[in-house]
Amino acid sequence: MAEDLIRMEKINKFYGRIHALRDVSLTVKTQEVVGLLGDNGAGKSTLIKVLSGAVPLTSGDILIKGRKVELKSTADAIANGIETIFQDSALVPQLSIARNLFLGREPVKGSGFLNRLDQETMNASARELLRRVGITKDIPPETAISSLSGGERQAVAIARAMQFDSDLIILDEPTNNLGVAETQGVLRFVREARDTGHSCIFIAHNIHHVFQVVDRIIVMRGGRVVADDIDPKTTTIEEVERIITGEEMLNAITA
Amino acid sequence: MQQRTFLQSFVSKPEFGPLVLLVLELLIFWSFNSDFLSLPNISNTLSFTVELGLIALAMTMLMTAGEFDLSVGSVFGFSAVLMWTLFNSEVMPLGVAFLVAIAFSLFIGFINGWFVTKLNIPSFLVTLGMLLVVRGTALYVTDGFPQRTWTAEGNWFANLLAGSFFIGTFRMYMSVIWFAVAAFVAHYILTKSKAGNWIQASGGNPNAARARGVNVSRTKIYLFMASSAMAALAGIISSIRTSAANPNSGTGYELEVIAMVVIGGTVLTGGRGTIIGTVLGIFILRVMRNGIVMVGVPGLAYNIFIGAIILGMMALHSWLERRHNAGV
Repeated sequence: MAEDLIRMEKINKFYGRIHALRDVSLTVKTQEVVGLLGDNGAGKSTLIKVLSGAVPLTSGDILIKGRKVELKSTADAIANGIETIFQDSALVPQLSIARNLFLGREPVKGSGFLNRLDQETMNASARELLRRVGITKDIPPETAISSLSGGERQAVAIARAMQFDSDLIILDEPTNNLGVAETQGVLRFVREARDTGHSCIFIAHNIHHVFQVVDRIIVMRGGRVVADDIDPKTTTIEEVERIITGEEMLNAITA
Repeated sequence: MQQRTFLQSFVSKPEFGPLVLLVLELLIFWSFNSDFLSLPNISNTLSFTVELGLIALAMTMLMTAGEFDLSVGSVFGFSAVLMWTLFNSEVMPLGVAFLVAIAFSLFIGFINGWFVTKLNIPSFLVTLGMLLVVRGTALYVTDGFPQRTWTAEGNWFANLLAGSFFIGTFRMYMSVIWFAVAAFVAHYILTKSKAGNWIQASGGNPNAARARGVNVSRTKIYLFMASSAMAALAGIISSIRTSAANPNSGTGYELEVIAMVVIGGTVLTGGRGTIIGTVLGIFILRVMRNGIVMVGVPGLAYNIFIGAIILGMMALHSWLERRHNAGV
């Protein structure tokens, strides 16, 4: 069942003379939620940007289901089933929930003049989708994103990724600035996404949130992957923190 | 309760402020001078209202996509000059000269869009440059002299574009019909079509739109072309109505058009636009121009009123925006 969905092999990324990613290799299996941890500057963001098509890699291969792909743009990545949800940047605030969900693949009615939008279909699917991600409050699909809370926005973004059958959903700091209840909501959407067959990469500074939802933890430091098989069930948060800061290496040296 | 929520949502619409202002304006001018709402004056006001109005419709869509176009006033003057020069030199019939002028304006719009989207230069700078290039060209090729237009007398094409007919005693201009059609089409595109969704997304959050596969650059280039073509159409209609193609005409129109659009509730930063609001904005400014003359205020004072309206409406829109964000 758990075959490799994404395999990154020996990825290197230079920003000018700065070596941001050094021979990074990692895999994400089907229906797996992976936590990606690391201090500021560890290379998490660069890795995610490479995987989401936002920046080109310098060398290395990305394989999706065993097939080598080139991700030249975020649209490329989405077409290959990789959806990235950056904090607050994935949605158009002025547009409605339904219009955001279908942006770029709007259903149209007939072959009419200038592609008339099929509002009824959009609204009906949007309502169904909001119910699926567990927004129990009655929010009409015509509501503009700008009047939603941070958690509801994350929910809409996740719902969109689930709707369009992205294989891999990358969540960059999805719980930042969220309240306790909203955070629990987002974590529930992540579990829901996994249970319906999606894989996730979950990035958060708050290790407690990561521990609650992931199957496996990958830690980066100084542009390298320093641990890629940490089981949150058998490891303590303190141990992971030591790996993130590199303390265990210091201990090894002084011992 | 239902009644009240309906009323509340109506009041919180961006078009509500402009609507109230227009009604007030009409009532005030009418109370000063009853001729203000006479059929000849309405007909006269409509005829010169719709010319700038055509540009404002296209500008609304362009501004919704987050850009604007300062070169429309120059294109307004230049395209009429170009058409009449071609026609008067007997190179081609009027219809063909018209098509050449429109094609040329589309090219100008394309260049605007290309500079903005491919070279990433703000539209303010690109279209300011284009304003000067186009106006300079119009002045240079004509030596600054107006072109003759009287040779078009009775020309069927000129009548189709800018002629008039009588409904009873009411003189109806063809341009009013073209404006109504254009307004309907623009409203449909912006609110009901897939293209409209892309236009709003391009202005609201271009990065998110691009990530979803929306071709933001192409959307904007098309809108620059539309704005330029509408400016050309308006300039040509105006030249036929006034029987003059002056290389200087349209000077300053770009700012008046942008004023019409923002008074109507479209935001300068993009993402949200309203054609209904723009139509109201068009009438607010044009009725003002006509009305203050009718009530005896010197025409030179016109700009004072326009400026005050812009400031007042911006204050109102920002207040509504804050209320909206506060969740009222």
